[in-house]
Amino acid sequence: MDNGSFIRRLFLLIGLVLLQVLFLNRICLFGYVTPLFYIWMIVRFDSSMKRSGILLWAFFMGLLIDIFSGTPGLNAASATFLAMLQPGIVKLFVSLDRHDVLIPCSASMGGRQFAGYLLLMTVLHHTVYFILRSIPLGDWTVLVLKIVFSTLLTFIFMLVTEYVTGASGSKR
Amino acid sequence: MRSLLDFIVRHSYVFLFILLETLSLVLLFGFNDRQKEVFLTSANSVSGTLFEWRSGVDQFFLIRKENAQLVEENTRLRNMLYELTDSQLVSTARALSSDGAVAARVIDNSVRKDDNYITINKGSRDGIAPGMGVYSSDGVVGVVMVAGKRYSVVMPILNGNTSISCKKKGSDSFGFLEWTGGNPYVAQLRDMPYHSEVELGDTIVTTGFSSVFPEGIPVGTVDRVEHSKNGYTLKIQVNLACDISNLGWVYVHTLTRDGEIDALYEEIMK
Repeated sequence: MDNGSFIRRLFLLIGLVLLQVLFLNRICLFGYVTPLFYIWMIVRFDSSMKRSGILLWAFFMGLLIDIFSGTPGLNAASATFLAMLQPGIVKLFVSLDRHDVLIPCSASMGGRQFAGYLLLMTVLHHTVYFILRSIPLGDWTVLVLKIVFSTLLTFIFMLVTEYVTGASGSKR
Repeated sequence: MRSLLDFIVRHSYVFLFILLETLSLVLLFGFNDRQKEVFLTSANSVSGTLFEWRSGVDQFFLIRKENAQLVEENTRLRNMLYELTDSQLVSTARALSSDGAVAARVIDNSVRKDDNYITINKGSRDGIAPGMGVYSSDGVVGVVMVAGKRYSVVMPILNGNTSISCKKKGSDSFGFLEWTGGNPYVAQLRDMPYHSEVELGDTIVTTGFSSVFPEGIPVGTVDRVEHSKNGYTLKIQVNLACDISNLGWVYVHTLTRDGEIDALYEEIMK
């Protein structure tokens, strides 16, 4: 990874962390629906990145959010989990040409595949996140509601972001 | 041997994954309550400044509403002052001189979790210590849990671990206010004696027994009365007076009493 993309990624990380802890953490529809949009960073890791690099980025991002939200380890654990699965999930939706660097987006994957990819990523992350947060597990129905509706909200946030950034032609 | 090394190098990310995940889970579950408190305090010295900045932006939009609230509170206090007789005035003044209050701004707040916390922008530097009561002009908010140097973390009523002793206004039978999760506008008052006459709409206030709160700070109004399972006590649902999801300024009840009551209790407990 060259220096330019490192710094760009660092800015993306700072921006997403600030967005999450300053604004999104305060959204709580119906008492328990919160978007966890910060996983956008993990969604966009390209196929040229080393797997250990992906893990480290995701871990530190989760840890930063934990520090600001007073939830030690919660976001770090779920973000690292998602980062471990990300390369495999990309391959589920597109066949990777060996010489091609793929940045997951609707232009490179096709709109429907990208939406499916986003949804699967979000469901996996939110399931781990809310299960870890609710331990000791008490009320299953509330847990499932939290997962389903938070997933939908995060998914919509990501679709809108993709639409806006894709339309303006900027590719991060 | 060489192929084994190759295998390890090629799959080093798996070991990294296990390492990072273990680290996270240790942070998440390996912390006992005391360590969590330390995490919250140290985290707050980092995030306090950030949240204070955000709260400044919020404040800008809320200033009119807060102004109106302050004027209203001022009027109420003024009216109370007129009603006091001279002898009452002297005793009230004496009580006030031993109890004080510090005004603080809420800079971070959550009502969506099962265990909620509030961060305020005053700390031990301003005379705040764990165990002090926090209330707004509307009513009781919670109790200080950790006091950092410049910021403190408050455990509001909306936290499964809070328990505040309350009574019906104008009577002496009391119970404990607790929150069981869910609705952030409602809490349960339990252990009220069976014979206490409680009616819907009655005002519930603090008792002042524990010196966490001064006596008579409003908590809420009675919404529903039930008999508890054992039949000896009442279970009362209380509509909270203070909208905890929407807090601007709060007061922290700093007691200058020398902690004699607490010392006595500790003596008994021994």
